[in-house]
Amino acid sequence: MAVVAQVSQQSLRAQEKAIADRFIGGFPWPMVIWPFVNTTVWLSLWPLVFAGLLPLWAGFLIALLNLSVSYLPSHDAQHNIIFPEGSRWHWFNEFVGWVSVIPMWIPLSVLRVTHYEHHRHANHPDLDPDYPMAAPTALGGLGKAIVKSQPRHDRYGETLNRLGTPASRKAMLHAMIARVSQYTILAALAWSGHVWEALLLWWLPLKISSVYINFYLSWAPHRPMTQQGRYSDTRAFRSIWGNIASSGMQYHIIHHLYPTIPLYRTPAAFRALRPILVQRGCDLGGM
Amino acid sequence: MRLIGIAFGFGPILFGIGFLAPMIAAILELARLSGPFGLSPIQFGLVLGIVLGAVARRRKTWLW
Repeated sequence: MAVVAQVSQQSLRAQEKAIADRFIGGFPWPMVIWPFVNTTVWLSLWPLVFAGLLPLWAGFLIALLNLSVSYLPSHDAQHNIIFPEGSRWHWFNEFVGWVSVIPMWIPLSVLRVTHYEHHRHANHPDLDPDYPMAAPTALGGLGKAIVKSQPRHDRYGETLNRLGTPASRKAMLHAMIARVSQYTILAALAWSGHVWEALLLWWLPLKISSVYINFYLSWAPHRPMTQQGRYSDTRAFRSIWGNIASSGMQYHIIHHLYPTIPLYRTPAAFRALRPILVQRGCDLGGM
Repeated sequence: MRLIGIAFGFGPILFGIGFLAPMIAAILELARLSGPFGLSPIQFGLVLGIVLGAVARRRKTWLW
């Protein structure tokens, strides 16, 4: 019986992979156009506001949107979706990944190393860098998202130190350069009479968007973060704001199963894989 | 690297001086308020920014 069950599981996995493979590959144009447009718009806000061509309150709202959507293309680049490692065009994948998070001022290298650890150890209390987001309720998740990057709760620096690999050491150096340069720019703006621009075009949108990003990318698809395993560490969920306004995270379970499926194809992949996910006993959140 | 580590340890205080101080001063000026004890807005901003930074450094968080 055990052998029959094992063969059945292998067959199901083969079916799952065959379906998933249909959504992998090709050039993900939306994930390339998006970061260039987004970062260009955010950078344009500064001269427009300084020149008085755009009111600061409008710049704040646009910056808030820019910061909120800047992470996702980098997420695809972290997984080498745009061009895989070994491709002669892989440098472009890296370029997109770095450009995407210019508004967030976080190095791609830091995000990649810590995010891979999240995939390897999703929901592990000690090894998942996103575990500080664990909370049973949405209100609790919101509270965790607000303080996640505070040193008392931050797990990214600790993860880079723990790994001690060449990639993590390089990422740590990049993180330090980013932190010093960001605070230097903010201080230079603030002390030169542009404190409101620094606050409303960068610092405040960064803080607010990081709460949104952590809530929808870390808390919502993994809550309550008590289970580990391929089919139980991530869930589908129905957001009151819809899939797009929730950063496409309703179908994040697909990303954890097949990380090289581009973000914009995860809804279709979810629909195709749904019968298998039901058989696997996944939490599909009524989707 | 040790020097960088020490500098990072004082990060919240440096942030208090570099960003919070002029921000507090700007808020006071917007509200047309002067600092207490005869301090100018920027002097008050520096005092409060350093104090808040020191507290955040000790607690390892600005919030909770």
